[in-house]
Amino acid sequence: MLTCDRIAGAFLALFALGVIIESRALPLGTLWEPGPAYMPVFLALALFLLAALIMIFGGAGKPLGELSWKEWPHAVAILCASLFAALALERLGYRLTILLTCLFLLKAVERKSWTLTAIFALAMAFGSFFLFYTILRVPLPRGPMGF
Amino acid sequence: MVEMFQNLYLGFSVALRPDVLLYAFAGCIIGTLVGVLPGVGPLAGISLLLPATFGLDATTAVVMLAGIYYGAMYGGSTTSILMRIPGEAASVMTCIDGYAMTRKGRAGPALAIAAVGSYLAGTVSVVALMFLAPPLAAFALRFGPPEYSALLVLGLLVLAYMSGGSMIKGLAMAALGLLLGMIGIDPMTGYSRFHYGLVELGDGIGIVPVAVGLFGVSEILLTAGQPTPPKVIKPKIRELLPSREEWRDSAWPIGRGTILGFVIGIIPGSAHIISSFVSYAIERRLSKHPERFGQGAVAGVAGPESANNSATSGAFVPMLALGVPSGPIPAVMLAAMMVHGISPGPLLISQQPDLFWGFIASMYVGNLVLLILNLPLVGIFVNLLRVPYPLLYPSILVFCILGVYAVNSSVIDVWIMAITGLMGYVLRKLEFETAPIVLGLVLAPMLEMSLRQSLAMSSGDYAIFVNRPITATMLSIALVLLVLSLKPLFTGKVDWRGSLSQQAQPGEE
Amino acid sequence: MKSLTWKVYRKAGSAKAAIPRRLVVSVSLALLVAQAVHGQEAFPSRTITLVAPFPPGGVADLTARPVAAAMEKILKNPVVVVNKTGAAGAVGMAYVATAKADGYTLLLSLSSISIIPEADKLFDRKPAYTMDQLVPLALISADPTILVVHAERPWKSVKELVEDAKKRPGQISFSSSGIYGTLHMATEMLSHAAGVKFKHVPYGGAGPALTAILGGHVDMLASGPAVVLPHIKSGKLRPLAGWGAKRVDAVPSLPTFKELGYEIEFYIWAGVFAPNGTPEPVMKKLRDTLRQGVQDSDFKSAMTKLQTPIAYLDAPEFKKFWDKDAKMLADAIKRVGKIEEKK
Repeated sequence: MLTCDRIAGAFLALFALGVIIESRALPLGTLWEPGPAYMPVFLALALFLLAALIMIFGGAGKPLGELSWKEWPHAVAILCASLFAALALERLGYRLTILLTCLFLLKAVERKSWTLTAIFALAMAFGSFFLFYTILRVPLPRGPMGF
Repeated sequence: MVEMFQNLYLGFSVALRPDVLLYAFAGCIIGTLVGVLPGVGPLAGISLLLPATFGLDATTAVVMLAGIYYGAMYGGSTTSILMRIPGEAASVMTCIDGYAMTRKGRAGPALAIAAVGSYLAGTVSVVALMFLAPPLAAFALRFGPPEYSALLVLGLLVLAYMSGGSMIKGLAMAALGLLLGMIGIDPMTGYSRFHYGLVELGDGIGIVPVAVGLFGVSEILLTAGQPTPPKVIKPKIRELLPSREEWRDSAWPIGRGTILGFVIGIIPGSAHIISSFVSYAIERRLSKHPERFGQGAVAGVAGPESANNSATSGAFVPMLALGVPSGPIPAVMLAAMMVHGISPGPLLISQQPDLFWGFIASMYVGNLVLLILNLPLVGIFVNLLRVPYPLLYPSILVFCILGVYAVNSSVIDVWIMAITGLMGYVLRKLEFETAPIVLGLVLAPMLEMSLRQSLAMSSGDYAIFVNRPITATMLSIALVLLVLSLKPLFTGKVDWRGSLSQQAQPGEE
Repeated sequence: MKSLTWKVYRKAGSAKAAIPRRLVVSVSLALLVAQAVHGQEAFPSRTITLVAPFPPGGVADLTARPVAAAMEKILKNPVVVVNKTGAAGAVGMAYVATAKADGYTLLLSLSSISIIPEADKLFDRKPAYTMDQLVPLALISADPTILVVHAERPWKSVKELVEDAKKRPGQISFSSSGIYGTLHMATEMLSHAAGVKFKHVPYGGAGPALTAILGGHVDMLASGPAVVLPHIKSGKLRPLAGWGAKRVDAVPSLPTFKELGYEIEFYIWAGVFAPNGTPEPVMKKLRDTLRQGVQDSDFKSAMTKLQTPIAYLDAPEFKKFWDKDAKMLADAIKRVGKIEEKK
């Protein structure tokens, strides 16, 4: 039966194999003088073994079908918001990025009223910038237009 | 002895001057504000604010930094407890039970216990620092790479022996974390490992973005879309303070955490981070109700918080006694002193007694100021939970982005946070613990480096781990633990962990 | 990358769906025009960023702060220090190397700026940046490294050390701030000049390297004088010689390697760089500012407190100094080669 543990174990095992394959580019060294690939290969072997054990003993775990993924639209939206922020932060500047992120989360995801959205987004973007950049001197990026 | 009290008097007469006190207060407030940012713990806090103290005179600058340091540490625990966002790697363990308490409506007590625990640990460890600094510092220097390797191996075994849940799954997660820690330039040979053309990965994956992603972001991803949004918690005044039972349950963990943290903290390097992990594991092992851990056990907040605070004070021992930058935080403090023309070194105590004792006294004062400042703030902080979740989570996300970016001014860190957020979300869905990943990531570079340095020192001879007394002692203890944890396999008895999983299914975290 | 941003940006925009595209276009056009006008203004008209590629509290950061303060005073324009850290400084250096060459993004770097491209070459890596992407503005400080040994070790002079090292090749150990780091390179030059082999134990930074020798886990260390002086005074470490052309002021009795007959010279220096292609008038303005800046009394007192000697050189002389230094480091790196393949 396909359980949570089995699927996770399979992924971990694949990951471990991937690491071993990728490590071939680096010198392994010897037991007495371990090279750059020594620890990664050793750890990947350990992870592979553990993943195999998880798959073997994982038959009694929770079946994969029982998992509920009801919250996925929110999760995807929030992830997209963070990825957008990562892309935009140093291009648009901190304030503009945060403004857009907040607008998106509140209006498109949470469907709040325009007034609330606007107040919240402006307060977040400019308030946090003022507190941390202007007063506390935490370096934050500014965009091409000085924002 | 008389001399010491005279010196301490001298120190306090400096630290209690009204203007100095003002800076201590300002430092605590600023530190708390910055520390509330996810990922900005004491290290990032004092690094970010160090330039702000350049204009002050030496004593006020150091006092203010001490305030910032305590403030940032406490600010970090606040977000860990209220929002499950670790302020730094060391507060990962606070997130688990602290946040579980918040969800049960016990945020106030959790914050109060964390504040009192930190205060007690801080004060006791400063006393220890004062009396024991010179002899302990000499001992601390004997910790070279072989001793360090032995300590880390011992630490890992203590954790494996004492952690709850499924040991295989926990170990697999730790191995995953250790593997992630292999990314970056190999410090022994200069080879780049698994960096795929990204220069930013040269120093490896940052611990802070991973901790914030795995804990903070994954929590938002899990919670925001629930059909019934989490209830807004309306705290009542009498629920702000810990109950008598909660005090009783935290007394011993605070004491044990303080001693453990101080001892681990003295050792040069970054090993102090493991003190909070080890403290959590020990408390769970010693507890009469190990099944409560992960579900909001107050001891799971008290122990690690105290250990963390006292470990960072312990790290000042070699710095003050010998002028050695024995860890990242002391290194920044030393830089602050150098800016003011104080040359730190073994002669600091005798040549600049007012500075040394002023620093010691300001650590007492800073700690106390923070307690006075923060206990009333508990009420205000807890009221943040009244904000409905659809407004709360965008704010949390913004602060996560801000904090993670600010630590290194690096967008790559924001990427890492988002990716590990997704990873944490999936892993928690599949009922895996994520704390061992952070631990693995913390330990990986230290463990690998010290092992290979030891072998470089001995030209490949493994006898170096047996010939040195400290190393041999620690490895023997590790061996005993290993035998003990394997015993049930041969005797066929169910050990405490097995009986635990029969009683109750431990929570996912 | 850029098109992806745009896509996500548009996606986020369309999700909000309320901002008419025409408005967006006209606003951005207006801003572009504003920017073009902006560009014609006299330099500097907005905040200048001085990037320190190492964390706060390190030598680069501590030198950058007074430099920025002095520039701010002279230009009457804000100059802020930003710490872009990572990959032994490569992240911050690459950031400035690829930044817009308008004089608003400058770099304060240490000697390791010449090491990173060489190490990238050695490992056939795509280089993070190349040295011709940066042009020197001014050298700010240069501090010769000095060789110290643990006080309980027998060697009283370089001669004794070298003789012993010849008897026991690869037995005498030294710590360093990291492989191919400046402290490693200094020792490599000594071992090349003396024809001996030492045992290298790299640490993660100059701090841990110092802790290691104080604990007696290694025998010797090449280090900047400021950090080891207190330990020399307290008798924990013994200095043997210095890498400078002249003796170190703080330890006048300490001979230089040149006096002892080893033709080696090594400094840990700090200089200011701009991206290549920065317009000449802007370069001139910045050079003039830095020339005045190093004369500033606040700057001087800040550097005295840091115990770092000011060694100002204007761009042309600094360029010569840099080329010579980079050549020397490149040779040293080639001699060390890849550690693993030498076996």
